[in-house]
Amino acid sequence: MAAVARGKGMRGMFLLELLCEEIPANALPSAREQLASQVSQALAEVGVVPSLLQVFSTCRRLALWMEGLPPATPERVEEVLGPPAAVAFAPDGSVTRAGEGFARAQGVAVEQLRVVETPKGKVVAAQRRTAGEPLPQVLGRILPHLIASLHFPKTMRWGEGEFVFVRPLHRLVALWGEGALNQVVPISLFGIRAGSATLGHRVVHPGEVQLLGIGSLQDYLQRLRAAGVEVDPQQRRQVFEQRAAALASEVGCQVRPDAELVAQHVELVEQPGLVRGALDSAWLALPEVVVATTLRHHQKCLMLEQDGRLAPYFLAVCDRPDDPQGHVRQGNQWVAEARLADAHFFYFQDLKTPLRDLAAKLRHVAFHTQRGSFAEKAERTGALALLMAQSLGLGHLAEPLRMASQLAKADLVSHMVGEFPELQGVMGGLYAKEEGYPEEVWRAIAEQYLPLGQEGAIPQSLTGALLGVADRLDTLAALFSVGEIPSGSKDPYALRRHAFGVVRICGEFPLALPLPDLAAWACQPFGGAGVNELRLFLRERERFFLEWQGVPTPVAEAILAARWGQVAEDWALARALAELWQEPVFVQLATAFKRVRNMVSKEGEGQWAPEVLQEVAEHQLASAVLEAEQALRTHCAQKAWREAWQVLAGLAEPLDRFFVEVLVMCPEPALRQARLGLLARIQALFLQLADLSKLQAAN
Amino acid sequence: MELQKVILNLLQFWGEQGCLVQQPYDLEVGAGTMHPETFLRVLGPEPYRVAYVQPSRRPADARFGENPLRLGKHLQLQVILKPSPVNVQELFLDSLKALGIDPAVHDVRFEEDNWESPTLGAWGVGWQVLLDGMEITQFTYFQQAGGVDLKPISAEITYGLERIAMFLQKKTSIYEVEWGSGVTYGAVRHREEVELSRYAFAQADVELLRRHFEDWEREGFRCLEPDDPLVIPALEAALKMSHLFNMLDARGAISTTERVAIIGRVRKLAVATAKAYLKQREQAGWPLLPGGKA
Repeated sequence: MAAVARGKGMRGMFLLELLCEEIPANALPSAREQLASQVSQALAEVGVVPSLLQVFSTCRRLALWMEGLPPATPERVEEVLGPPAAVAFAPDGSVTRAGEGFARAQGVAVEQLRVVETPKGKVVAAQRRTAGEPLPQVLGRILPHLIASLHFPKTMRWGEGEFVFVRPLHRLVALWGEGALNQVVPISLFGIRAGSATLGHRVVHPGEVQLLGIGSLQDYLQRLRAAGVEVDPQQRRQVFEQRAAALASEVGCQVRPDAELVAQHVELVEQPGLVRGALDSAWLALPEVVVATTLRHHQKCLMLEQDGRLAPYFLAVCDRPDDPQGHVRQGNQWVAEARLADAHFFYFQDLKTPLRDLAAKLRHVAFHTQRGSFAEKAERTGALALLMAQSLGLGHLAEPLRMASQLAKADLVSHMVGEFPELQGVMGGLYAKEEGYPEEVWRAIAEQYLPLGQEGAIPQSLTGALLGVADRLDTLAALFSVGEIPSGSKDPYALRRHAFGVVRICGEFPLALPLPDLAAWACQPFGGAGVNELRLFLRERERFFLEWQGVPTPVAEAILAARWGQVAEDWALARALAELWQEPVFVQLATAFKRVRNMVSKEGEGQWAPEVLQEVAEHQLASAVLEAEQALRTHCAQKAWREAWQVLAGLAEPLDRFFVEVLVMCPEPALRQARLGLLARIQALFLQLADLSKLQAAN
Repeated sequence: MELQKVILNLLQFWGEQGCLVQQPYDLEVGAGTMHPETFLRVLGPEPYRVAYVQPSRRPADARFGENPLRLGKHLQLQVILKPSPVNVQELFLDSLKALGIDPAVHDVRFEEDNWESPTLGAWGVGWQVLLDGMEITQFTYFQQAGGVDLKPISAEITYGLERIAMFLQKKTSIYEVEWGSGVTYGAVRHREEVELSRYAFAQADVELLRRHFEDWEREGFRCLEPDDPLVIPALEAALKMSHLFNMLDARGAISTTERVAIIGRVRKLAVATAKAYLKQREQAGWPLLPGGKA
């Protein structure tokens, strides 16, 4: 066992900085996490825990700061097992040559050999002591390999092509010291030897920055700041947010929130800069979403708004604190205008072609090699949506749904979606509205892809919800029918997300459509292939949905073991149970119900014959069950789930009494069958709501 | 700065950095990458530095001369530095000075943008370079070409000349850009764009294009049959196939499923040509290696 050298009171500090060519923004968050966790793990393995370990990065560098490090790793004491005692020691107790050899190999005197019991009998053992290793040496040994094996989404080679990393490395700083960084740790990586100096910002401070002698983390951060580099991503985010708010309020606007984009901005620069550009207000004649998406897509611009409406300003990111001659603002403004002119051209170009004509082109756009074109998909989706509407008694939506499903994918061949794939659906909706289609139609088209991510908003319109569910189910069924079923991390068509969308809409909108039926309807055009797999898949997504909504796992298990597929009801039932399940009466009920299940599954369902029953306790239970059945019917019809659970809770007492006073497995066959019949009836009653035995293990 | 001044200055600059100043390839190509001075020279161990302008045709991008920002044929200025030098980013920034752009008062950012050409069996890793928010250059470290892993690695710098000129002149339409001597880009090329668009989208004979695609495929492989294969003619056949494919695509004659297969056929010839080129250079003793026979 190695001792652990805790950082407290230790004065050792270490700085690592890798200066590279621009690292992709999407690689940086994970690189920071990996660097932090792998370094702390590697150090923990040699018994070292720093008091502070922090990682930093910009688009050009990755940095690691540690302090509270010991000068060396702790001494290690290990027990090494040797040959059997009978071999190492002669019968007279003297050490044999074999024993001497083992002692020598372990570097201990023969007197220090001990005999220990092991499963293989008595063997000789020695305590081997390994002296601590100076920390700079340890770091020099660990780091090169650790850095070279960091995982990046995409790696590359450069120059002579000998090395592989995320981008070419230019400088490496590795400094150690106690109280101050005064010693270069002599490592080398990709042909670059560690030194004590880095470079400043490419434009603002293009020279060397000496890091030798740094005495604290603040000192490091300050030296880089003075060289035009803000190496702390948290700090960059704050500066971005403050600057954005200030630039917006100067023109009486607010920043339209876009957390995902700000997170990207943070990774794109060394110095957090923003410039405000103004737009010719003529562009605001374009739909807001076209303006915002154009500038976001191409220029990663934040948009400003006034009273919730888009304002004629944008904020563009730049990697410098200032704009000395106004070039940055002018340039971005010029690009924004050009991009909007382009979008304007595409938008009005698209408006010249009726959606119906675009939809006709879908015959030539393949949805899947074995499952035909998008036109065929539209037919299937329309038929499915219709079935759904009819089953919900919404026959009047048949026509709008038919129209919407035929036009739903037309925008895939529009200029705008060709340019901005993220506008699929949105553009179709806008064009359908412009062409004067009824609101049920254009809303359905516009909302069919909602929710966008896991968290996104679901459709607001009924036709949007129906089309969204039908479209996703058709995708799922079509791919399941050709064996494209997600497994493990392999889900190239994002089918989990599609299925989750179905479950969310059914649960939250809500749509009272049973998932097992939906699966069957969707698989019908493919001869029912894959329907069982699809049902299991949807059931699994329902479980995920319930837990994502905060239902405790055992509660979700209990519900889904008894019923699934009416997502809204299942969820309401789960919410009601989640409030009650830890109360003593439910704990009691879970145990009793487990007994019921075990008995019925082992001994059979017997026969319902209350007249055969003899004991008071069983008569009481039988009449309680009949009353409960009645009450449950009422409560379920009224969707009064809390009351429904209370009905079951009311059975806890009579059930307990029954088990105390009545012997189910009695000798008389008729009586035994009647008692089992009673239990089977209870089981059936409970399983209308949940398998409460699943709560038992958790409680 | 006039368009022609942009070209002259960049060629002058890269010529001074040891690049051979080459001429455009005299075939229809989709990008400067397809020029043998890039596609073939990046293969194998021999160092090379070259710069040239390449008119590049993307028939499907043509817009009848109506869109102020899109062209069916545009000008690329292509630079290859093999192996990629340590200071390649600094060299690039210096080249901006040749355009009158002082990075010290602008915002220059390198944003990830990787490149892939399925028809050439080639891909690379790199950035788009943004100058004050404007994408002015594509910067790529070639990793593979003709299906062959590259070593050493070449850096490719591709300047979009019309865009740069538009940006420098702050014009809102490509056609208003001053080419030189007071003549606009529109005066030189607008009619050509209209005609090329009409031809690509409406006029081109699909059957003829398909037939020629097949012909050049056969011809290309025939060039590679001899023991001493004809590498350049084989590459030219692949380039013609690639252009014919682009024409068929613009004409809307290629279905999504067919596309993959057709691209695969061009790639097959490109890959075979790359292999033949490597063999040829090896047999010649890699003439451009230091101490080689050149």
